[in-house]
Formats: sequence, C-alpha cells, structure tokens
Amino acid sequence: MTQDDTSEVRFLMGNEAIGRGIIEAGCSVAAAYPGTPSSEVLESLVRWKKELDHPVYLEWSVNEKVAFEIAYGASLAGGRAAAIMKMVGLNVASDPFLSAAYLGVRGGLVVVVADDPGPHSSQTEQDSRFFAWFAKVPVLDPGTPAEALEMAVRAFDLSEKYQVPVLLRPCLRVCHARQNVSLSTPQPLADAGVFRKNWQRWAAIPRFRLILHGELNEKLAAIGRDEAMAQPRLVNGNGGSDTAVITSGSVSSHVRDVTASDKRLGSVDVYKVDMPFPCNAEALQQIVTDHRSTLVIEETYPVLELQLSDRRSVMGRFSGHVPPQGELIPELVEDLVLAAVGEPASRRETPTVKSRRPSLCPGCPHRSAFYMIRKTFDQAVYTGDIGCYTLGINLGAVDTCLCMGASVGMAGGFGRVPLPDRETKVVATIGDSTFYHAGVPALINAIHTRAPFVLVIMDNNITAMTGGQPTPAHNFLADGSPGVPIDMERLIRGCGIDFLEVVDPYDAGALEEVLKKAKSYTFEDGLGVAVVITRRPCVRAPGVVTPSDRFRVNDQCDRCMTCIRDLECPAIHLVQKEKRIEIDSDLCAGCGVCVKICPSQAIEPIGA
Amino acid sequence: MVELILCGRGGQGIVFLTRQIGQIASAKGMNVVSSETHGMAVRGGSINSHLRIGSFFSPLIRQGHADFLLSLDPSETSNNRHYLKPDGVVVENSALAEESAVRRVDATGLARTLGRVQLENVVLLGFAATLAGFPVSPEEIRAQLEKDPREAVRSMNLAALQAGANATR
Repeated sequence: MTQDDTSEVRFLMGNEAIGRGIIEAGCSVAAAYPGTPSSEVLESLVRWKKELDHPVYLEWSVNEKVAFEIAYGASLAGGRAAAIMKMVGLNVASDPFLSAAYLGVRGGLVVVVADDPGPHSSQTEQDSRFFAWFAKVPVLDPGTPAEALEMAVRAFDLSEKYQVPVLLRPCLRVCHARQNVSLSTPQPLADAGVFRKNWQRWAAIPRFRLILHGELNEKLAAIGRDEAMAQPRLVNGNGGSDTAVITSGSVSSHVRDVTASDKRLGSVDVYKVDMPFPCNAEALQQIVTDHRSTLVIEETYPVLELQLSDRRSVMGRFSGHVPPQGELIPELVEDLVLAAVGEPASRRETPTVKSRRPSLCPGCPHRSAFYMIRKTFDQAVYTGDIGCYTLGINLGAVDTCLCMGASVGMAGGFGRVPLPDRETKVVATIGDSTFYHAGVPALINAIHTRAPFVLVIMDNNITAMTGGQPTPAHNFLADGSPGVPIDMERLIRGCGIDFLEVVDPYDAGALEEVLKKAKSYTFEDGLGVAVVITRRPCVRAPGVVTPSDRFRVNDQCDRCMTCIRDLECPAIHLVQKEKRIEIDSDLCAGCGVCVKICPSQAIEPIGA
Repeated sequence: MVELILCGRGGQGIVFLTRQIGQIASAKGMNVVSSETHGMAVRGGSINSHLRIGSFFSPLIRQGHADFLLSLDPSETSNNRHYLKPDGVVVENSALAEESAVRRVDATGLARTLGRVQLENVVLLGFAATLAGFPVSPEEIRAQLEKDPREAVRSMNLAALQAGANATR
C-alpha cells in the first residue's frame, strides 16, 4: 500500500482491514457465512459500503458452500468477488472450491478463510494453507492487519492475472488484532468482460478436466517461480548468521518482535514467506543450505517445512522441536528461537490460571429450554450443535457436538444400531441459523426414514454466537436492503413433518407439556421424528428489552441447588459463608424462569 | 513503549476500553497494536485484551512484559498477573483498600450510583488515566468519548470518566 501524505490512518481490526482491502480492490460481490474469527469481515464491508456509498453487493449466505458459489458466479460474470468464512466453513465449501481451481476464474476471486490456532472458538486447528495446497490454490498468509489489507488487494490482482481462485488465510491473531492501517482510494469496480459461453471450460466433462488440471499445474509453477510473494523475504538479520528462521503469517509477527527485543537474537536471519503455497521451494532449500541450522515456525501444519526436500538441519515439526498442536504464543516462540541459537529458555513463573467457564447469558431463552428438555427426557442422549447453545453442556443437555447440522444427522444414526442393549432415546438441539445452514437436508432424511428422535429447534431469531447476524428468516439482508423472509414452520411442514409445535421457552408449563407430547409421539407411539420450536429472541439482539422484574430468595429456600446446578443461571450464586442463595440484580435479566422451576417456591419478585 | 493487559468477564466492556485507548494513541500518531477476545468466551467467560504502544508487529504481550494490568473483576486479576513486569501496576475494580503496586477503585459501586452498573469499565479507565505512566490522559479520553453521537451514551460515559478520575486517592 502506498503511504502518501494524503492517506488516512485508522485503528482497524484485521477483519475490518480485510473488508477495506476488498473494497479498495474494486470488488463487486462479497458473500459470507458468520463464524469466529471471520465474522467481522462482512460486517465491516457493510460499513465501508455505507461510508463510501459503494455499489458492492453483500450477503450473508445460507452456508459457506452457497457463499462460495455466489462469489464464483459473480467472478464468471466478470466482476471481482470474495467469499468469506472460517476454516471449518471451507470444509462445507470444499466441493465447489476444489472444482473451481481446475475451471479457473474470470474476475478476481478471493476466498478469505480465517484460521483459529488454539483453538479458541472452533472445532479444529486445521491449517487452511494446507487446504489450499490440497486444492491447488495459491494462498497468502498475512502477519498483521495492515498487511492483511495489502494482501487482500494483491490477492485479487494475482487471481485475475493467473485466472485462479486465491485464498487469503488470516489467523485469529490477525483477524482480532487492531493496528494503525493506512487507507487508499478504492479502485473502480474491476471488469473482466462479459461472460462468453464455452462449455468445454465452464461445464467441462472429465476429458477436459484433465486438460484443465495440466493448465492449473502450469499456473502454479509460474506463480511459484515468478511472483515476488512466493520468495522468502529477509526481515531480520543480514543473511550471515549460523541460524535461520523461516516463518509465515501471524506467528511471524511474534518471531519478529522476539528477535528484535533480545540482543542475543539480533543477528538471527528471519525469512518471512507471504505466499506459503506455491512458494519458491528452491529458494527455501537454499536458506537451509546457507545456514548451519534452520528453524521453521508456522501455524498450524508443516506447510513450508514439507516443501523442503532436505530437512536434515531443519528444526520443526518433523524433528520434534515445534509442538504439533496448539497456538504458537510469543513465549513459546521465544523459547524455540533461543533453543535454536543454543541459549537457555527464559525463566517465567508458572501462571495460576483458573478461567471462568463461558455460560449462557442470564435470561437466555435457551437456558429454560435446556432445563425443561433435561427434566422431560432425563437420561436420553442429547446430540448438540454449533452455536451459543453448545453451552447446554453446562445444563447436562448436550452430549455431542461435531459440526454444523450434525445434531440432526447424528440423531438419525444413534437409534439405528440393531444390538439388544442399544435402545437409545435421542433428543437433538439446534439453533435457527445452524438449522438453515445444514440442518434442513438432515431433517428431510430423518422424516423420510422415520428416524426415532425428538428435534428441538431453538429459534432466537439471530446468529447469536458470532455477534448477531441476520438469518434467512429476516426480511432484510446484510446491508439492510429488503429480503424475503423464510418461514420456518412452512419450511419444516414442506419437508413432510407431522408433529410440529411452537412454544415460548419462558413459559415453563407450556414448554413441559409440548415436550411430553413430543416424547410420547416419538418414543411411545413410535411415529418418527417430532419437531419442537422454542421461540424467543436472543436477549442480546438489537431492540430486545429484557423485563425489569428482579427477584430475591426467601426463607423457604432449602438450598436444593436446582437453580444453580440444573438451571445454571449466572445471576444466582451460593454465598458460601452464610450458606444462602443470592440473586445478583445487576446480572439478572428478569426472565423469571427461576421462580417457576424452584421446587420450594422460594424465589419471589422484589416488591411483591 | 507501553504494554497493557485489560481483563475481566465477557460482557464487562473490555473490548470497548481497549479500542478507546488504542484509538486515542493511534490518533496521537503512536504505533498501536492490540488483541481482543471474541466468540464463545465472551458469554460470561474469562477474557483479556492486549494493547501495545510502540514498534511492535505482534498483538500479544509476553509474560513479564506488561506495564499495567487493568482488571474489571478482581477474581480475574490472578489469571493475568503473570503478564506484569516486576515493577508493573495492577489497577483493579475493587472496594478493598489499596496495596503497594495494586491501585483500587470501586468502579462497580461508583457506576451503580450513576445509575448504570455497565459504566464500571469507563470508571476504571478514568481512574487508571490519572496514574503516572498511563499512556492516555483523562482529558484525551474525554475528547474521545465526546465524539459519540448518542447524547445519552455520551453524557453517561463522561460522568463515569469523571467519577473514576476523581476517585484517585
């Protein structure tokens, strides 16, 4: 990015910088499905669109596969396009992603995939650079928010130049970092020309795919050979040290700070690779040859390391020097680099960390739903799903969590094992956004096969976990423009369901009654899957006002712990010293569910 | 170069504070890089933010390097104390008396008297900003908070800032 006197500097989150880069590159279409740590990219695009009065089309797609296909269609139409998701979202989008690499693109196509080493808020630590290699797609790996903006623009140029999709892989430490970032004037919308029909290319049958595969291999060879980003770049030292570090991405920033702040490490040669695949493997090998020892620090899989053919003097994952799982935090990086130059590790006191576990919010409608599900179905197996409501584990009402939509799919398999002692009652729970994303095909399957489980769709009318993005049920799109709301009941009835009930989860009595009906329909009468929708908006959704009622615990309380252990409300706690239960009015959201479920009727409204 | 850790429970406004300090320092032409917690942990879990002012690339502070630890929840202080330098200062939201290298203010109590317990984060910031070596001053924070176009939010935040700054003992 050119930094002239007129350029404005802002303190931007990495995801906002990527959104800005997409706009500055003259992008026409961006589609995303929310997922930490990627969600703020499209959210920032909405703000950039508004601030700049930019014509870019934006959408929260129903899932990542569709988001990719929207972007791919726009690319074939000649515009620049972006698809944005978290790393497990790329698993969902993998089918079109791999195929698109063979077919190629027209307008620049950038797939932003945010990785989560740690993992902090994800199911896996998968390395999307490795996925890009598998898909034969070039991948850029930014180290900072400012670099992420720059790389977003370059990714579009690269994609258009070689007619391949390009993956931009920011890690969480770039996505959720903030930094001073220089802005540039957005380019006008790019135009690769109108779509011209050519089925041998865009609808290629296998015979032509073989030809396209050959062309893709040639493109990758040219990119690795000719492109500056494929060449390792010396960012610390002068090339004359005995020790080299090869690194990429957000962890390269830790490496740079560690080497710059320690006199013992000032001369270590640090090489950063902006494009880990396809990179110039000969140049990488030359670094190894030129140094007595070479340390490779990258997250989370050995992508650069694997491209070294002679690893005899390489310290990395194959030599056992670098841990094969977990985030490479700065302390760890410091110890790795110190060890590489033969210095002892830094002394640190062992931190005593007792982290508070996350919990459903006070007043969360999922809490009362989970409480009543657990009460009604007791020892059933509870297949859970991806969202805030994974926290149903705290209420003993989530036993499995695999991936988006798997609560419904897995529930269909749990009851099918034909062994004498294997009769299992299964209750699946899934949120509204996740249901639209990947639950619908699994529900069609369950209805068609008369699968014996109860499905509770916890409809809070929002994608809550990731910050409150709209779902297909809303009558507006990502940027507020009008959309057609999808009616959940009509959708489910359209799938062919016979048992469908909708209930307010704050109404404990009605909820219990509906769940009992579902129980007898599925497990006693054997009529197949029953669907219950528990519907109430998220307490954090915009415009939702929680009740102002507050409650206290009276003398009837026998400390049975139902409200603390089974309802698990964060506003209720035991005062150990005085052996009494107290409700924190600051935290309480006034839902009053505790009043209804207290076995001793010991919770009463204040002022009553 | 100044390095700060801010910690507390999800929902206490840690991210807001980090952004305010970062934006002020950034507008003063300083190099700032910070790191925030989003996602699952924000649902009431333990969270912290890192904020580094100086020529850094990484958004993370190493153990033993932080100048200040701002803690909105005293039970989270011990989870983050290892980030502090030997001569680093804890600034804690607590009604207890101060100790050496632990500055305390009852931010929750002051926020409650202002009518909104959620203002505790701004009270703590106002208090911290009066301490020697803190990278931003109460006046600079005031100027930043005055930019909020929402009248009600602006006046509440300014009152909270003042309450915190006045609480210096």
